[in-house]
Amino acid sequence: MGLDFSGLEPPTIRASSSFPNLQPNILSSPSFELPSVKDLDGFEKAAVEMVKPVHGTTTLAFLFKHGVIVAADSRASMGQYISSQSVKKVLEINRYLLGTMAGGAADCQFWQRNLGTRCRLHELANKRRISVAGASKLLANTLYSYRGMGLSMGTMIAGWDETGPGLFYVDSEGGRIKGRLFSVGSGSTYAYGILDSGYHFHMSVDEAVDLGRHAIYHATFRDGASGGVASVYYVGPEGWKKIAGDDVSELHYKYYPVSQPVVEQEMVEILGYPPTGNLGDCSSIPIYRNVASS
Amino acid sequence: MAMAMGCLLPPEPSQAAYREHQSTWSPYENNGGTCVAIAGLDYCVIAADTRMSVGFSILTREHSKIFQLSEKCILASSGFQADIRTLQKHLDARHKIYQHEHNKQMSCPAMAQLLSNTLYYKRFFPYYAFNVVGGLDNEGKGCVYTYDAVGSYERVGYSSQGSGMQLIMPVLDNQLKSASPLLLPAKESATSLTESEAIDLIKDTFASAAERDIYTGDSMELLVVNASGIRREYMELKKD
Amino acid sequence: MFLTRSEYDRGVNTFSPEGRLFQVEYAIEAIKLGSTAVGLKTKQGVVLAVEKRITSSLLEPSSVEKIMEIDEHIGCAMSGLTADARTLVEHARVETQNHRFSYNEPMNAESTTQAICDLALRFGEGSDESMSRPFGVSLLIAGHDEYGPCLYHTDPSGTFWQCDAKAIGSGSEGADSSLQEHYNKEMTLEEAETLALSTLKQVMEEKVTASNVDIAKVAPKFHLYTPAEVEVVIARL
Repeated sequence: MGLDFSGLEPPTIRASSSFPNLQPNILSSPSFELPSVKDLDGFEKAAVEMVKPVHGTTTLAFLFKHGVIVAADSRASMGQYISSQSVKKVLEINRYLLGTMAGGAADCQFWQRNLGTRCRLHELANKRRISVAGASKLLANTLYSYRGMGLSMGTMIAGWDETGPGLFYVDSEGGRIKGRLFSVGSGSTYAYGILDSGYHFHMSVDEAVDLGRHAIYHATFRDGASGGVASVYYVGPEGWKKIAGDDVSELHYKYYPVSQPVVEQEMVEILGYPPTGNLGDCSSIPIYRNVASS
Repeated sequence: MAMAMGCLLPPEPSQAAYREHQSTWSPYENNGGTCVAIAGLDYCVIAADTRMSVGFSILTREHSKIFQLSEKCILASSGFQADIRTLQKHLDARHKIYQHEHNKQMSCPAMAQLLSNTLYYKRFFPYYAFNVVGGLDNEGKGCVYTYDAVGSYERVGYSSQGSGMQLIMPVLDNQLKSASPLLLPAKESATSLTESEAIDLIKDTFASAAERDIYTGDSMELLVVNASGIRREYMELKKD
Repeated sequence: MFLTRSEYDRGVNTFSPEGRLFQVEYAIEAIKLGSTAVGLKTKQGVVLAVEKRITSSLLEPSSVEKIMEIDEHIGCAMSGLTADARTLVEHARVETQNHRFSYNEPMNAESTTQAICDLALRFGEGSDESMSRPFGVSLLIAGHDEYGPCLYHTDPSGTFWQCDAKAIGSGSEGADSSLQEHYNKEMTLEEAETLALSTLKQVMEEKVTASNVDIAKVAPKFHLYTPAEVEVVIARL
């Protein structure tokens, strides 16, 4: 089903393991077992419907004078159920390359780990780090050979190599675009609104981090499939560093603080009264007292 | 559940009816059930009910969904039990080979990664299994890994999977929710509850889930992994 | 030693009547023509040193690579047919990365060595996936894993031994006896560096300079010394 790229592989003696099913070689594209049904596409559609792999997100990345900012939310949804609020969507491929996760979580996790392995082998063989363009090309070629099989990935590869900061968008249709600013996911339109209005190339690192965080916050505010924690990473000449990890509900009150209305009487609860076994600390009697005037 | 076989037997096949039956056959079935795991500072509790169903029938009340992968690592899965059994055997075989090759048991994080890869290698014909892995990590702290059916996974402080997941998770969130591990500075995801408090919590959640989920009930099997080894407990649940 | 050879030493996979595989034994002999390499294990890490054997002043020393990194915690030094060693190292690199991919943990040094030795036996006629002859190279594999620093020595027969200190190559006999005399388990890493270079100095014909030897350590990460760092060790000789 996939294209045969074995001619492009470096010639080495393969470990013809005695357990071919159990230990696939990672250099060649893994061969996946396919069900022998007449209507593969229909089967895949139904299987996806049934297993409901994890989806939904907002991720963004942009280049600026001092490097690259990569930011993402942390919510994963299975249909309408929020399966996790703490998903790591910025994947650390190696110390100077980051990838983002949007679309199928398993697809992103697996292929970006696979990419990390191939980048490491490139480094060992060539004694220098792989470029961002090279890494994104490796991933895009792999995904192209699975084109049409139902993988779902919209990922950005960001990093710093010998030519400076680099940013590419790679997707499961085999597309690969070099660019300066991208946002991917169900909340991307909201993030673009904030990014496009606040972006300029000569920002400082702090301004850029703030912009990324702000954009993720706004996307989580409006998109139901995005939420959790807004993580922001900065990629500089020394590699990446995680700069911020903020709960978006707390960010809301930071950006839009609620002023306390003046109250004359304040409700105070006396805890633990009356003392009953079942309800424990939850029982209480509300009592009003006058607020001491300042 | 859209893919489960209907509980009505197909009528005596004519040509058209036979073809129709063929198009409704599915390689998958949902046997229901719920699994939960909670990670503590030096222990991990994994529990699952023991009811196995298909459609509206109960096939057995005594089917274990829990499998011990290694000394410090337990797998609990709900979904299609045939796929789950194969997955368990596959992982067990891989673990035996690993022990022969490397002269040591697989650690829990290594087993978690192996399970993720194993699930992903069936990306185009998935194992219909919703897994939770629980155990002790390399430092003896409790760890729980939660998976989707195709292998995306995450280390968390607690998790539940299966038909009762949506009933149990909100309770666990309420009682155990801690700061996200993605915040800066990173926070510990394991709960600070004691072992007996965590066990009581799990028992309460299962009892409640059995009330409202038809696929959860009969009895609950609970395993505790800590420095002294693995211990099993059982609790009866409602059989209706 | 080879007086009894007759028709039995041509076939790569043919046993002689005395039960010897001559081609494998000849391959082991080939190592004795190779440049010397030494390895020493200390509690702080493992040191590897090789003689580069620069045969002409027109040869670019940095292109002679006889110590290679396998993974961040494992490196190896080679002696013999270095081209054969490259195949083994490439295979080891793939195996260690494969292990990291499958199990999210670094591979043990012993398992890596075993993986290399599994390849060494894969020779013969008529099989597409194997070499036509034994690998003519001996490796010193230095690693640091959960069991601490370790050193392994492999040879073309596919056997490996764990060592505290070992020398391989043309000067191995002299170097081995020198190591036996001067090596002790409580050495520091620096003392081991000095001992490694002085052992090489004894068996090398040319004077030791920063461009005709290579030193590396795994303590706990693999690090190939820069010429400046090698100079520092030479100064201590």
